[in-house]
Amino acid sequence: MTSIDLIEYRIEHLRERLAGEEIAELGVRVEARGAGVLIRGSVSSGECRAEVLRITEEELAGIPWREDVTVCCPGPPDRSEELS
Amino acid sequence: MIRVAAVGDIHLGPGSEGLLRPAFETLEGCADLLLLAGDLTRHGTPQEAHVVAEEVARLPVPVIAVLGNHDYQSDRQTAVTRVLAEAGVRVLEGDGVLLDVDGTRVGIAGTKGFGGGFAGRCGSEFGEPEMKSFIRYTRRCADDLAGALRELAEAGSDLRIALTHFSPVADTLAGEPPEIYPFLGSYLLAEAVDEAGADLAVHGHAHLGTEHGTTAGGVRVRNVAMPVIDRAFAVYHLGAREPIGDEVLHRG
Repeated sequence: MTSIDLIEYRIEHLRERLAGEEIAELGVRVEARGAGVLIRGSVSSGECRAEVLRITEEELAGIPWREDVTVCCPGPPDRSEELS
Repeated sequence: MIRVAAVGDIHLGPGSEGLLRPAFETLEGCADLLLLAGDLTRHGTPQEAHVVAEEVARLPVPVIAVLGNHDYQSDRQTAVTRVLAEAGVRVLEGDGVLLDVDGTRVGIAGTKGFGGGFAGRCGSEFGEPEMKSFIRYTRRCADDLAGALRELAEAGSDLRIALTHFSPVADTLAGEPPEIYPFLGSYLLAEAVDEAGADLAVHGHAHLGTEHGTTAGGVRVRNVAMPVIDRAFAVYHLGAREPIGDEVLHRG
């Protein structure tokens, strides 16, 4: 078995790409789940989400993976917190 | 009562112009100041900083920021700071600013901070030069934060806020893998806050963390990373408090 076949190294290669490429996304988690991989987290835009999934598709080719990547709401808050 | 708006980890750059501006334009009705808790850009380039600057330029409330690790990525943090300052943002690093908000003197002390971990599970100044340098840098950030908080107290601030990018406590990292906590913050920042005193500590950096925490000394900590608060900013209403002996009286 080579490193190409070992999921934990493939996960780290994906994380390195997400951090090192133009997207510079360090805020999503990439975890081994069962026989596959789960990518989860919240990113700043739909474009960022699409890029995360595109890179994942390339880097995890041949490995089953699922995603739960959401996009942050850029709207104003509907409440405040009293700290007094 | 002071209304503090805060957000971190907005990661703006070319292509995201105008994303947060509509929300920021509502600040006048709900906040007295806006804190930016670092990671304002993706790669820390002046071009990205210009997008951030335009997003917060000419807002009706003061904008105070610290930088985050992403804002250092291109080694252009000085230029990033300059671009933000030209748009009226007060960028803090080991210093503070005292604002007059309708007669209440609000002090904000800021530093990016750094990692190292939390009491009982942290790095120490021992061994290789790189390891010693790592922890010494965090300690310097913490010492500067404490110094800035003390200066604000001496200047007569009614309320003090500690603004960092890295977390001072583990509470607000819940949801992140415990193995990476040493890269997300340091107890040295909390110790600085507790020793110098503050009414609130605000940070970002931990995208999968949680919003609420406190230091060992009881200072409330809020993780305002945008993925955590899931909105353009959070708002905290903060009243001035007057310590008497071991009791704390609320007067705001």
